[in-house]
Amino acid sequence: MKQMTENQLQELAQDLNTIRDEVLADLGEKDARYIRRVIRLHRALEVGGRVMMPFGFIPPVFAAATLSLGLSKIIENMEIGHNVMHGQYDWMNDPTLHSQTYEWDTACSSDSWRRTHNYEHHTYTNIIGKDRDYGYALLRLSDDEKWHPAHSLQFFNYLLLSVFFQWGVGLHELEFERIRSGEIRLRDKIPFLKDALRKGGRQAFKDYMFFPLITLPVAPVVLAGNLSANLIRNLWSSTVIFCGHFTQDAETFNEKDCENESKGHWYLRQLTGSSNFTGNKWVHLLSGHLSYQIEHHVFPDLPAYRYPEISGKVQAVCRKHGIGYNTGSFRHQYGTVVKRILKYSLPDRLRLRLTNQPA
Amino acid sequence: MLARNTQTKALHWLGKQLFNRNDPAAFFDPLLERLDPMLVQAHTPARVEQVIQETADTRTFLLKPAARWQGFQAGQHVNICVDVGGVRRTRTFSLSGSPQLWAQQGLVTLTIKRLPGGLVTNWLHDNLSLGAVIGLGEAFGDFLLPEPPQPVLFIAGGSGITPVLSQLEAMAAQDFRVPVTLLYFVRTQQDVIAAERLRALANCYSALTLNVIATHENDKPRYLKSQDLASVPDLKARQIFLCGPRGLMDLANELLHQHGVRQKDIHSTFFSVATPALNPDLADQTLGGQVQFEKSNLKASSEGDASLLEIAEASGLTPRHGCRMGICHQCSCRKTSGTVINRLTGQASGPGDENIQLCISIPHGPVAIDV
Repeated sequence: MKQMTENQLQELAQDLNTIRDEVLADLGEKDARYIRRVIRLHRALEVGGRVMMPFGFIPPVFAAATLSLGLSKIIENMEIGHNVMHGQYDWMNDPTLHSQTYEWDTACSSDSWRRTHNYEHHTYTNIIGKDRDYGYALLRLSDDEKWHPAHSLQFFNYLLLSVFFQWGVGLHELEFERIRSGEIRLRDKIPFLKDALRKGGRQAFKDYMFFPLITLPVAPVVLAGNLSANLIRNLWSSTVIFCGHFTQDAETFNEKDCENESKGHWYLRQLTGSSNFTGNKWVHLLSGHLSYQIEHHVFPDLPAYRYPEISGKVQAVCRKHGIGYNTGSFRHQYGTVVKRILKYSLPDRLRLRLTNQPA
Repeated sequence: MLARNTQTKALHWLGKQLFNRNDPAAFFDPLLERLDPMLVQAHTPARVEQVIQETADTRTFLLKPAARWQGFQAGQHVNICVDVGGVRRTRTFSLSGSPQLWAQQGLVTLTIKRLPGGLVTNWLHDNLSLGAVIGLGEAFGDFLLPEPPQPVLFIAGGSGITPVLSQLEAMAAQDFRVPVTLLYFVRTQQDVIAAERLRALANCYSALTLNVIATHENDKPRYLKSQDLASVPDLKARQIFLCGPRGLMDLANELLHQHGVRQKDIHSTFFSVATPALNPDLADQTLGGQVQFEKSNLKASSEGDASLLEIAEASGLTPRHGCRMGICHQCSCRKTSGTVINRLTGQASGPGDENIQLCISIPHGPVAIDV
């Protein structure tokens, strides 16, 4: 990590706070209109998808219905749910858009998400051993973790995680790896498991029982469509999220360096541990503006669709302080993620011989 | 009935599973709102049917709420919600029309004065035109007429006339055969709200004695005085209703006590919370203290009579809130420890775990809340 003095860090914090304050002062009608428009789009896609699905025995209708439902889930999870739960729209004082009460359309319960994502991941971003989102305790993505033969199959694990992403996220808080190592007891996770079962059950009931059953003669079609829509969402959101922190140049940190850190140091960690990708307006919308992962990590509670307009200013701050700003095309960034997963699945000696460079 | 109840409950449960929300009916609101704002389910929509300019700065809005609205009793108020600059604002207003108008024509009225610098009242005057739709809560409040009828004295000031209008019309419609007196204080005769309706009431309702007093038409202001009360026949037998600015309410309370009126016969309602009504023996104790916002893992300290809502907002938090005057309970949340003082009653809370309203709770020593 780039070394900066406390004074430099303080200046960095000031520069970023200025950007934040400007946006906060400008929040209003425009932002409310935007999120309400996105919500309308979500409702239209979901209703459209559900209504079309029973007619999915006609192949083009099946494709349209599945895509519509898949997109609706993507938009609800990424641009609405994730962002609302960060408190980006709390200032609107709309009880249906409040960070602490919003419940999203995925297997993970919002309460669990608020703990593991909003608190753990956003506070301890990329600190190995503290940020359990780093590799999801499943993948080895830096040499801070010792190689183990099981890692050689981790690309296969990655594919599985992507396919069942909503369930992976839903069970993330179980901390299975710590239970297996005896660090914590399964018994302590019973309240969490109950909550996970309730929410996961609700999602499964809706998509895999209720909607297929009420359209009984075509139940297999509806079931297949709902499974596909969930799969589309799973693949897309895991891909977007992997591009956020596991690209080639996204840095990792160790616990010691972050003890009692200042706000400036936290900012520095967010800037260097995150990575963006470029794309058009729709790519940004469908990624919940996590394509601006750097901006998101620096200002997690500013309305995400504001990230494009402040991105220039954030880049200028990075240039001023000599901090890298990690961005590239979607294809390039994702390519480096895949490479990283593959690279660290190899034993260190083999990896170093092949890549001929330390990571 | 039971079968229907079970059915609705089952539907509600199903809705919760399908839409991941406690108010599943509102899931479709974003689409329905586009078709017709009156279809919205999250709150009761009410459409503006007519706007009446009462005085230079006061308007009456005739509203037609969706049919599921549950009605009201004369003297009650409602919360309305509107989006101002993208922010949902909830405010409380008295219903100024009679319950008969609602029963017969499905209309309710709000009579609203522009408050200088008032965010919502000014917005309503500037933006709420014919056909606009606002959100309406259910009616509440216990500023209610005596049942069975007893002699009544109303003392109203300025826009404090609004609940009284509703009560007078309700009494006239039911032909309450008891003496009714209204002392209505206005700055000048031009500031009389609903002058037409008051005149009509005075004409058709013979039990009513109407006395409009202008306070600022002469060099010396003419406020409520002892003779005004002395001239009311049988004052001590009356139920007394006060609604007006704080100054008038305080003065009226004092004079009424001097005239030997019992506290239990005095009913007052407020239409603005300007200053905290702190208990005198608490007022000199030190207010404020360290506030711990547990969910946000944040601490703030406060001095003086800032409410927990204000302290939270000053610390950059955005707790859910509504009326900011202790009425709507939107900001209710859990206090896990510490004592707070209720700004309206001046009463101190217990020290332990309980629900409090952030907007009217002032910390009294260290407090921890679940925000």
